Amino acid sequence: MMLLVRLSLRNLFRQKRRNVLLGSAMALGIMILIVANSFSHGISDIIFNKIMPYVAGHVAVRFNEKGGVMAEIFRDKARALAAVANEPLIERTDESVGFFMRAIGNGKADNIILVGADTTRGVSKKELKELEESFKMVDGTWKDLETTAVENAAILSTDKARYLNVKKGDVLRIRFRNMFGQDQAARLNVVGIVKNSNIFMQSVVFVEQRRAKDLLGYRSYETASLNLRIKNPQKNSRIIADRIHSRLKPGLAYIQGTVSNKNKEQTVVVFGYKSDDDSKEKFSKKLKITDGTLENALKKNGVVLCRPLARALGAAAGDEISLRYDRKFEPEPARFACKVSAVCEPTEGLGENVVVMNDDKFYNVYYESLPKNDDATPPAYLPKEGDAWYALLSPEWILLKRTANTDEYTKKYKEMGKKKRKSTLIDVSTMYETASDILKLEGVLNLITLSAVLVLFFIILLGVVNTLRMTIRERTREIGTIRAIGMQKNDVRNMFVLETFFLTVFSAAAGVVGGFAVMGLLKQMTFNMSDNPFGMLLVDSHLHFVPTVLGVLGNVLLIVLVAVLTAYFPARRAANLSPANALRHYE
Amino acid sequence: MNIIEIKGLKKDYPLGNTVVKALRGIDIAVEEGEFMSIVGPSGSGKTTLLNVIGCIDFATEGSVKVGDREITVLNDRQITDIRLNKIGFIFQTFNLIPVLNVIENVEFPLLLMKNQSRTEIRRRADRLIGEVGLTEFAEHRPAELSGGQRQRVAIARALVTNPDIVLADEPTANLDSVTGAAILELMKEMNRIEKTTFVFSTHDANVLKYARRIVKIKDGLLSDN
Repeated sequence: MMLLVRLSLRNLFRQKRRNVLLGSAMALGIMILIVANSFSHGISDIIFNKIMPYVAGHVAVRFNEKGGVMAEIFRDKARALAAVANEPLIERTDESVGFFMRAIGNGKADNIILVGADTTRGVSKKELKELEESFKMVDGTWKDLETTAVENAAILSTDKARYLNVKKGDVLRIRFRNMFGQDQAARLNVVGIVKNSNIFMQSVVFVEQRRAKDLLGYRSYETASLNLRIKNPQKNSRIIADRIHSRLKPGLAYIQGTVSNKNKEQTVVVFGYKSDDDSKEKFSKKLKITDGTLENALKKNGVVLCRPLARALGAAAGDEISLRYDRKFEPEPARFACKVSAVCEPTEGLGENVVVMNDDKFYNVYYESLPKNDDATPPAYLPKEGDAWYALLSPEWILLKRTANTDEYTKKYKEMGKKKRKSTLIDVSTMYETASDILKLEGVLNLITLSAVLVLFFIILLGVVNTLRMTIRERTREIGTIRAIGMQKNDVRNMFVLETFFLTVFSAAAGVVGGFAVMGLLKQMTFNMSDNPFGMLLVDSHLHFVPTVLGVLGNVLLIVLVAVLTAYFPARRAANLSPANALRHYE
Repeated sequence: MNIIEIKGLKKDYPLGNTVVKALRGIDIAVEEGEFMSIVGPSGSGKTTLLNVIGCIDFATEGSVKVGDREITVLNDRQITDIRLNKIGFIFQTFNLIPVLNVIENVEFPLLLMKNQSRTEIRRRADRLIGEVGLTEFAEHRPAELSGGQRQRVAIARALVTNPDIVLADEPTANLDSVTGAAILELMKEMNRIEKTTFVFSTHDANVLKYARRIVKIKDGLLSDN
């Protein structure tokens, strides 16, 4: 083998000019391939490692109360956090507090996105580096967000500050409708200005997270959607998302409390019933109304009592009863009054001291003041999964099914938008699902590059075949000699294949070096694209290339393989020459 | 003992639409250790006969035995092994490998045999280069040698494997008379030292005085033995 290697290498350097020209063409092709692949991989890196983790995390647990896009709230923060706790693969859990609002500066007004920045938690060196790559402080520091010397300290982008005509020390007035539909106004004090080349981040105004939550109306035990940063996200995101999803399976929503009417009190369990048409039809079939009407029972504010409960309370259809129950997070009990729409016969599987109300009304009460149910001793007649009643009663929330890609994700949200939701929707997704189109884009870019380079390589490979044919023709007598001396056919074939192999490997090495040099040069160029959406594809106003070992080796291996396969057939023809004929050959 | 036995050897070449009958029924036997010359004019069939004996061309008809093996029934791999192990070649145009230097050219057949250590190979090659008087040119490439020196390298390469037979096709045709005489002296000396059978072709009458046996060939037939 060493003999063949030595012969191949020496023969390669025999026709220097010809091989240098051919090798240069190959190196150019590999260089283009590596630069293009690194660029498209860089786009994915920006999206998946520099934008998405900050905007939506590697995994997002999204809460939308009553399906409201703006109502990103879950009323039991501890429970939400419990679902993501004890996961060593989760590096960081952040609340995603963000809200569109109108800001009025000095004589100018514009829309902004108020974003809560959690400055109380430390950031790793890596995070700090990434933060500084995306946001360069022009005036002030991130620490200034924590100041209590001014009301609602805020940091905004240079572009937004210019447009609103404000600078550090100025006041911004904001107006917005919060997630509960209330119109609000507040003042933000500008404590810092930050430069950002991403057009989509220019509308963002940062406020310390606790203050942002206060402004938006969150209470201390409520949480916004959660963004999770995962170790090795590409490998682990789906696993973590699936695990969290399974932990967030909802149970039935119910309230343990006391109903009173005319000085009579009864301990009850209040359920909501699903008010979609299909559920209502099944629900009405189960009811045997003894007082009031089914029509009233199915209305938005429909409340149905069981006959034994109604008798014990002395209540009839049309009476106003009041409900009292302990609240989970507040010391004072919750109280509310409602009108009995109907009384029904007890039904199997539901118990007698039960109040069932339309979920529209039920969730209003339930979410506003989560009940302090005695989870240790749940009601004996609480329907179990699989029971007929279970499917008709309101769950704690609706957990959206997991999706595999952007198409499924979009379809899921489109379907969700068609229905009016009464409960909170919870969705667990990874950035690879919400932005799988970016991965597709990377794939398409790579494919386009590869196709272009393969055309180039096809031309180059014609060169390889031609060169090899010329070489074989020139060395026909030599082939005859080595065959006459005793070299086997296979060795002759391998000698020529090895020559092409070495030529391709050396060209590939030169191409890789050239590719890195070109990327280094391109990285030095500065592009001012702050007002252009393509600016998001830059890092700190520079092109971003992410070459990967696998990508570079893959490209090199592909080219080497193609070249060797191309060389194989002329080499085999050379090996099959009869020694006598080869020795007789004269140019 | 006969090292080569040929009976009824015929060799035809297709040439366009016609067939050239290069050998038309040759019977010959060569004894071990002979120093034999095949003589004949150009186109008489000398090279074809040597090629068939050297297993680099195939007989159209007849029997060819090299050593005790009938070569006409062997496959390419077996034939190549015989060329490597039993036969040494000296060509009219030297046919050295231009990218290898003198010592590497001489070592080349031994490296193909793959049955000796690097040290043994180098020692054997050095000895033969010494015997052909080219020690000081061992590191030179063929392009840096004269015609005579190249042919000496070719002789060393032919002998390095200790072959049973060395076939030389007009070994002096590309050399001046003095150098040619020296080469033939060297071959004769090698025949004496190594006890190797030498068969060489020539059409030069001056060369014949070196041969111990002369076989004349004309129009593809032996005319005198």
